[in-house]
Amino acid sequence: MSSVPMEMKDSAVSSSKWLDAHYDPVANLYTFSSCITLADLHGDGENKLVVGDLGTGAGNMKLKVYRGTGLLSENTLLDLPTGLVSFLMDQHEPRTPAIAVASGPFIYIYKNLRPYFKFTLPNLEVNPLEQDVWNQARGDMIDPLTLKEMLEGIRDKADIPLSVRSLRFLMLEPQEMESYVNLHKQQPIRRQTVITCIGTLKKNMADDDAVSCLVIGTESQDIYILDPEAFTILSKMSLPSVPTLMDVTGQFDVEFRIIVACRNGNIYVLRRDSQKPKYCIELSSHPVGLVRMGKNVVVGCAEETMQSFTQKGKKLWTTYLPAPVTTMALLDLPTRGFQAILVALANCEVHVYRDKNIVSTIKTQDVVTSICFGRYGREDGTLIMTTKGGGLIVKILKRTAVFDDKDSISGPPIAQSIRLNVPKKTKLYVDQTMRERENAVAMHRAFQMDLSRLRLAAARAYVKALESSLTPMSTSLTEPLKMNAVVQGLGPSFKLTLNIQNTAACRPVMNLAISFLYDENLYSMRTAFFKIPLLVPGLNYPIDTFVECLSDKGISDIIKVFVLREGKSTPLLTAHINMPVSEGLALN
Amino acid sequence: MGLFDKLAGWLGLKKKEVNVLCLGLDNSGKTTIINQLKPSNAQAQDIVPTIGFSIEKFKTSSLSFTVFDMSGQGRYRNLWEHYYKEGQAIIFVIDSSDKLRMVVAKEELDTLLNHPDVKHRRIPILFFANKMDLRDALSSVKVSQLLCLENIKDKPWHICASNAVQGEGLQEGVDWLQDQIRTMRT
Ligand SMILES: Nc1nc2c(ncn2[C@@H]2O[C@H](COP(=O)(O)OP(=O)(O)OP(=O)(O)O)[C@@H](O)[C@H]2O)c(=O)[nH]1
Ligand SMILES: [Mg+2]
Repeated sequence: MSSVPMEMKDSAVSSSKWLDAHYDPVANLYTFSSCITLADLHGDGENKLVVGDLGTGAGNMKLKVYRGTGLLSENTLLDLPTGLVSFLMDQHEPRTPAIAVASGPFIYIYKNLRPYFKFTLPNLEVNPLEQDVWNQARGDMIDPLTLKEMLEGIRDKADIPLSVRSLRFLMLEPQEMESYVNLHKQQPIRRQTVITCIGTLKKNMADDDAVSCLVIGTESQDIYILDPEAFTILSKMSLPSVPTLMDVTGQFDVEFRIIVACRNGNIYVLRRDSQKPKYCIELSSHPVGLVRMGKNVVVGCAEETMQSFTQKGKKLWTTYLPAPVTTMALLDLPTRGFQAILVALANCEVHVYRDKNIVSTIKTQDVVTSICFGRYGREDGTLIMTTKGGGLIVKILKRTAVFDDKDSISGPPIAQSIRLNVPKKTKLYVDQTMRERENAVAMHRAFQMDLSRLRLAAARAYVKALESSLTPMSTSLTEPLKMNAVVQGLGPSFKLTLNIQNTAACRPVMNLAISFLYDENLYSMRTAFFKIPLLVPGLNYPIDTFVECLSDKGISDIIKVFVLREGKSTPLLTAHINMPVSEGLALN
Repeated sequence: MGLFDKLAGWLGLKKKEVNVLCLGLDNSGKTTIINQLKPSNAQAQDIVPTIGFSIEKFKTSSLSFTVFDMSGQGRYRNLWEHYYKEGQAIIFVIDSSDKLRMVVAKEELDTLLNHPDVKHRRIPILFFANKMDLRDALSSVKVSQLLCLENIKDKPWHICASNAVQGEGLQEGVDWLQDQIRTMRT
């Protein structure tokens, strides 16, 4: 009773697991999943959508806040945002979260949507040689051209890269150098890195409203964990490559795990008391999306696959996708105990995967570049997407929607996993297999030998046939002819029909004759030689003649047929006709 | 019968009992509306989100209402259908400033209208397009368009814009409902 309506519901409304709450194709929102979040900014139980908008071209970068379908506020950002998170930084009431926007080497903290604090990454070590050269320049001991030469030397050899100041200097035209040196030589050299990704990590409690630390990944291949209130660096870890995507779980004071996808195509897992990565997952292509599901990591790769690993790097599965991945996010519905992976593809689709099975497909009007799933307003299952063209799509998961692994559209059919009832191996089979396994070399050799012999025999027969013109096919290119002979009758009189065909494409053949050679004691023929008329290409010419068998002893012989050309002694064609034994009695 | 009913009503002798279901998404103002309809000495001071449901009573000139104030939160919405059989009228409340969730309200309304316990009964439905005082609230016409109320052909329905906090628009709605119930009975 229950299965039939379920089935019907699935097929009829599988596309409508989602309610279309809002679509604004010209929302003018250009962003990525790392710069979009949902947070209860005002502490009124109504979550707002916070977006770090990258704008179009230079400028226009904004921090935008949406409430429901409308824009609530806008703050101008000074630089392109690379990441945005909301986090509780203190225990003060009301417990409204702050927003951290990472751009360049800075993190801008907003409280109540007002700028509150700016954190700057610590400077990197400056190359002592570079420092030396600039010191000399400051003392006017070297002219700008010498400075340029020396800096170029350092740039090519040193393992500590040059500062931005020196690099910019090296790009200048000679006439601009003097003023540039004068302008900068008094200031200390600084070398800065930039933030590539940002995340949050609960400080010492697991609650939803616990204070969180910021975790940042930098271009200098480091991970920093910052204190939420003082913004001091609590911990620093190094990676073998530049982190691009990050997932953080646990609590800083207890135990935590940071999973980072890096630009070298590897994923590293860092733990609380390890300065270096604990585990490494090597991918076959570059990661473009990273989602953690429970204890497993799901990675979207550039080669149109999605792969899952345990945190220790053991591969669980791979799924092939119909188009390149643009972004990924986690669909988490704790109230219903449901988790799935959202994958946006370049073919304007968003797929919902539960493990490697697709459970829902959402078609979008444009390519989705950022996804965020969670509580928006008062609705728990809200899916927010922004598109390449700057559109905003909001969908709400139906309360009654059920995701069924069964209605997976692609993926292997179920029949594939059903085991066939293969019968047990017989003794004969086992013996044969053993024999084949033991004598493989000898068997192969014997086979090869026989094969060569067969080829030799075939070649010999062919050569012989050519030499004696024993072919019913003419090999001459000027007179391509085909002939076959049919013997009719029981004897002693036989009718002999020769079918001759000119197989040339368009040239007729003339001046041919046919002659027979036979044992005159056995057979007699009315005409043993006659001329053939002109042969039009493609037509079949039947030529009849009669043969009389002279013997009544029940013996037979061969009659040879020659097709000849006037003025040439070698026949064009030869055919041997095996005469049947004469079974009839002579009438006379 | 009608005359006697009215007479009895005027005399305060006997009032007809009706069961009304109050439905709608969470935060739409159901509890606030019902609270306003109660006599002022019985009104609650502060209103908190309803858990599960609560039963409230109030009287009009001729009817005695028993209202099932259901919780609108997602996880309690599956309780609604268990009370459809008892309900003789429905009050459906919409937060007209929550544009984003208008689709959710429509979805729940459609589910309600297609439920076997409701589908073939001519029960009156009163809609309150509530929170009309808020700046970004939609008009009651717009709300009825978004919910496709014109498609309800086999049930009497009525929509009023309301402000439950001030009590505006509520009386008009309840008067309509009372008329419907009385015509239904006679
Ligand atoms: N501005 C305004 N606020 C209203 C109005 N009606 C209700 N509210 C407010 O909306 C909030 C929710 O009201 P409730 O009556 O608890 O809503 P409910 O529909 O009973 O919600 P649940 O019990 O969770 O289903 C309260 O803070 C009310 O003060 C109105 O007409 N205008
Ligand atoms: Mg309530």
